Amino acid sequence: MRYSLLAGGKRVRPILCIASCELVGGDESLAMPIACAIEMIHTASLIHDDFPCMDNDDLRRGKPTNHKVFGESTAVLAGDALLSLAFEYIACKANNVSPDRLVRVFAELSSAIGSKGLVAGQLVDIESEGKVVSLKELEFIHVHKTAKLLEACVVCGVIIGGGNDNNNEKVRIYARFIGLLFQVVDDILDVTKSSMELGKTAGKDLVSNKATYPKVMGIDEAKNFAYHLMNQALQQLACFDTAKAAPLYHLAYYIANRQN
Amino acid sequence: MVFSTVLTSVPNLYLTRKPKNIHIQIRCLSSPSVSISSQSNLTQFDLKAYWATLYAEITQKLEEAIPVKYPDQIYEAMRYSVLAKGAKRAPPVMCVAAYEIFGDNRLAAFPTACALEMVHAASLIHDDLPCMDDALERRGQPSNHKVFGDDMAILAGDALFPLGFHHIVMHTPPELVPESRLLRVIAEIARTVGSSGMAAGQFLDLKGGNTVDFIQEKKYGAMGECSAVCGGLLAGAKDDEIERLRRYGRAVGVLYEVVNDVLLSKSTEKEGTEGQEKKGKGYVRLYGIEKSMEIMEELRSKAKNELDGFEKYGDCVAPLYSFIDYAINRGFNVSDLSQ
Repeated sequence: MRYSLLAGGKRVRPILCIASCELVGGDESLAMPIACAIEMIHTASLIHDDFPCMDNDDLRRGKPTNHKVFGESTAVLAGDALLSLAFEYIACKANNVSPDRLVRVFAELSSAIGSKGLVAGQLVDIESEGKVVSLKELEFIHVHKTAKLLEACVVCGVIIGGGNDNNNEKVRIYARFIGLLFQVVDDILDVTKSSMELGKTAGKDLVSNKATYPKVMGIDEAKNFAYHLMNQALQQLACFDTAKAAPLYHLAYYIANRQN
Repeated sequence: MVFSTVLTSVPNLYLTRKPKNIHIQIRCLSSPSVSISSQSNLTQFDLKAYWATLYAEITQKLEEAIPVKYPDQIYEAMRYSVLAKGAKRAPPVMCVAAYEIFGDNRLAAFPTACALEMVHAASLIHDDLPCMDDALERRGQPSNHKVFGDDMAILAGDALFPLGFHHIVMHTPPELVPESRLLRVIAEIARTVGSSGMAAGQFLDLKGGNTVDFIQEKKYGAMGECSAVCGGLLAGAKDDEIERLRRYGRAVGVLYEVVNDVLLSKSTEKEGTEGQEKKGKGYVRLYGIEKSMEIMEELRSKAKNELDGFEKYGDCVAPLYSFIDYAINRGFNVSDLSQ
């Protein structure tokens, strides 16, 4: 569990959660337990995604994947244990958040990672390998595999920080665009960068015949699409206090312009 | 001790196949500490009817909780395991029974009861994977990964865990169960499944070693414990009552498994060398039949003693007493209840 959780990673999801909490006037300390739990959930999904029968990755966050080091059986259990630890952590450590808000947090998170979220995206991704994929299917994959959890991060942050439903919807849409942006940029980087620069196996998408934005649209259109998504995301922040929204503005820029 | 006929099921948490006239008599059902009223409850309570009613209700709710949508395969895989005809629904039934000691509206307990079954199914799907126990069959049908593939099985388990939690928070009526109690239920289930609970048990089981007691408690006792505790938590039972339920649930869970072990080794004795591979790898192999029977009696006694602490709740405790007897006597076949 520790190997994968503490391997590095950018911690984008926990940061999104904390930034969203602060966006609506909440304190970082309120969001911290949920932010950590989100990272556990994300890590769990990566461990399982990397399995031979799934994406079959040897490298993750610059190191050998969990099952390569510990074996598949331990890796299955580590993923399961991290997922359950996340839920336990929120239930036990978020002492300063009211129970009714925590229940909403559970509703949001559990919806994002199951058959309506992460799992659905991963499934369709696997099933699409080697097939001609439409833009609509590609969007389904990335909304579910990536965007849904990012949406949950920001919405949970807003719930914990005491935001209202309108705030919720704005940040949710922001996160939807960020999520897609994340993947489009990921796809572009896979084509343009080496493994060492990326920290994970490069060129995999081409070898595995996976559907990607550059493949479906061409690399230039994909880059244009990325900037379009970034701008759409930023528009959602217009109604918030500029200073409080600054981290989320800059996160959007970072995701669009990152090199790994 | 009297027994007859052959039991051919593979040991798992609860029996999967019809135990044709298997019967184990423990020297006495009563002990000096048991009051007359609880003893008469034991003989009068109709566990089969109680279980059958709950079985039908819970199965229907599970059916509604996992409708097939796009992408279909994941829902088919989830339903395949959760709605298997051979499922006994022991965790949900235990949860409702524990709830009903203290609470008076089972609607409060049903969402958690369903969640326990989802989480239980998820852990079984993962346990059966080739890299884990590599089981070909589960609940009287091919294992999930045999039908849907390893990747789908991993995903089905990954989807069922959060669905359980989602189901609890979305369907438990807040007027019946305050949110603070729901959080304790979620914490309890999460802890049971995780690195100090069932995952630990499974890990140690796979790695080998002699800590069979620890493994049995973690793998089998954990679910019984969790189910009983969740029922109590939902109903607002006091902390000492929760701990009593915890000890009871753990004892009954392990008792089931020890009895499975004993029944299986009795049947392989009859089968001869052919049955050697199927011999239980737990208590019987380590301690032998006689000692295992002693352990059975200890667990039975322990579970009963815990329930005796609920004497003031009278008849409400009857179902939990009857689970203990059922663990040993298996008076009916649970899978018949699904007809």
